[in-house]
Amino acid sequence: MLLKLAWLNIWRNKRRTIITATSVFFAVLLAIIFRSLTDGIYDNMIHNVVSYSSGYLQIHQKGYWDEQSIDNTFEEDEQLYQELLKNPNVTHLIPRLQTFALASYADKTKGVLILGIDPTKEKVVNNLHEKIIDGQYIENVNENAVVLGEGLASQLKLKVNDKLVFLGQGYHASSAAGKYKVKGLVKLGAIELNNNVVYMPLKQSQFMHGAENRLSSISVMLDKTKNLEKLKQSLQKSIDPDTYEVMTWKEMMPEMDQFIEADSTGHYIIIGILYFIISFGLFGTLLMMIFERKHELGILIAIGMKKRLLATILLLESILISLIGCFVGIIAGILVVKWFTINPIHLTGEIKEVYEDYGIESIIYFSSQEKIFIVQTLIVLVLSILLAFYPGYKVMKLKPVEAINS
Amino acid sequence: MAKTIIDAHNVSKTFNPKTVPVHAVQNVHLHIEEGEFIALVGPSGSGKSTLLNMMGGLDEPTAGTVFIDGVEITKLSENKLIDFRLHNIGFVFQSFNLIPVLTAKENVGFVLQLQHMSKKEREKRVLNLLKEVGLEDKINSKPGELSGGQQQRVAVARALASKPKIILADEPTANLDSKAAANLLDIMAKLNKEEKITFLFSTHDQRVIKKARRVITLVDGKIDSDVEQSPT
Repeated sequence: MLLKLAWLNIWRNKRRTIITATSVFFAVLLAIIFRSLTDGIYDNMIHNVVSYSSGYLQIHQKGYWDEQSIDNTFEEDEQLYQELLKNPNVTHLIPRLQTFALASYADKTKGVLILGIDPTKEKVVNNLHEKIIDGQYIENVNENAVVLGEGLASQLKLKVNDKLVFLGQGYHASSAAGKYKVKGLVKLGAIELNNNVVYMPLKQSQFMHGAENRLSSISVMLDKTKNLEKLKQSLQKSIDPDTYEVMTWKEMMPEMDQFIEADSTGHYIIIGILYFIISFGLFGTLLMMIFERKHELGILIAIGMKKRLLATILLLESILISLIGCFVGIIAGILVVKWFTINPIHLTGEIKEVYEDYGIESIIYFSSQEKIFIVQTLIVLVLSILLAFYPGYKVMKLKPVEAINS
Repeated sequence: MAKTIIDAHNVSKTFNPKTVPVHAVQNVHLHIEEGEFIALVGPSGSGKSTLLNMMGGLDEPTAGTVFIDGVEITKLSENKLIDFRLHNIGFVFQSFNLIPVLTAKENVGFVLQLQHMSKKEREKRVLNLLKEVGLEDKINSKPGELSGGQQQRVAVARALASKPKIILADEPTANLDSKAAANLLDIMAKLNKEEKITFLFSTHDQRVIKKARRVITLVDGKIDSDVEQSPT
């Protein structure tokens, strides 16, 4: 009965209901698009950064993170790969051997970061081969050549096909030395990486460092990137916890996590303003509902309707209007986000260059996580319930005689 | 001896007691028995509506006590009073009595739904009531589709729905033309005569006053006269 009465009541003033529901509709739609866009940008940014560096999760020897030395590397183990790949969310495993050495060319010497990589795997997850601006990409793990960050090459004043000498510390205090041809130069968005990195085929790096089959880390790429902590726990359980340690990108790059958190605050404020505006619209409607119908409410109390039932009707009216707006808003939101998921925005012109300079793909993706749609709907519903407390309070204070005479 | 329905002692109502006191009703004693058909008359501002509201538990007296069917309603909590009204008192107001979004049938049945009566029983009773007020062909009409007189008849049917001890009507004919007013009065008189339903209505419509069997006149919030008469 209450629901029926509430439903009939909201259509007493069709225009007002439609205007209010429309304001809820636009709020939900805009909030969904906004959240989907910002989450999509963040997800893409994280993917770009972690695919070059840590991975969403990283497996390394216990203690490696605190002391990143070659002596804290671990032996590559096929069984470990098999164990990790059992998790359906794991898409790629990228083995790396990360070391530091002095690189010398002609009269220039510089400390560099040597990343021993599997060129094929890197290609798949971070399109490293597409960043080549001169020369060629290394093709296999045994190739006797390296690829350098373009910044490093210019500091050492060398070109493709020049030979670079490395001198560093190998496994268990052995010396690591080698002379490698520069096969290509990559331009990376991360300036520090661009100025310091040397990509060396994994087997060559292991050979040079006297660390046969040893890895400093396995970066784990994922299909779904939410619930990282849960996934971390599950991976940690599946492998020997005394030997290996699993870390999330948030633990390894807390500054990026903090940047996203801080940047999100601004977005929350914008969405907050949006909700503030629709709250006024809803509140106005609710006030009109009670003032226009004061006489009628008085009659209902007089004939024996409890005030809390009346307050419930007003609450239901508010929820119904919000639900109509939310429902249509979600449908429209799903369609818009779906369209942009299939047709992401390809940036052009200067913005495209800025993105690429930072090593981030110049495409804006939209996130289509269910959470975005559910959360926005819940926020509007909670808002409408909270707002409906005021008319409810007014009803509880209503004196039947005064209301009937109004 | 007839059963006492209303027993009011020394009832007073003063508005704005702390600023500019207005004594709307002063020291009224009222005794109404089952089956009475009473007109409460008096000029505008004489306190008719205020007294009626206090008899129906819609307004609280500043002083005095009101018993309905032996229950002292002036002592009931707000929720208990609402419940008491639901089961014991029927109201007919001047106008805009009905819930505009519900049909005649639903408006009458609304009170019964509040009383949690089963659907089958409710429908039977609602149809009988609308038949009694001559609106069996308008059961699915909404208030906006009914004339003022028909709306008041639906209001009477709704007031009767809960089988109340008394029906209080505040100027029920005020907004009706003479034909509709006469029709409404005839229905109320018939219900009073045939079903012994007690009616107390405020009015200053002479046609209505003539139909009453007892006329109580209020002047300046006090009972000026209380006379029995033969209805015409």
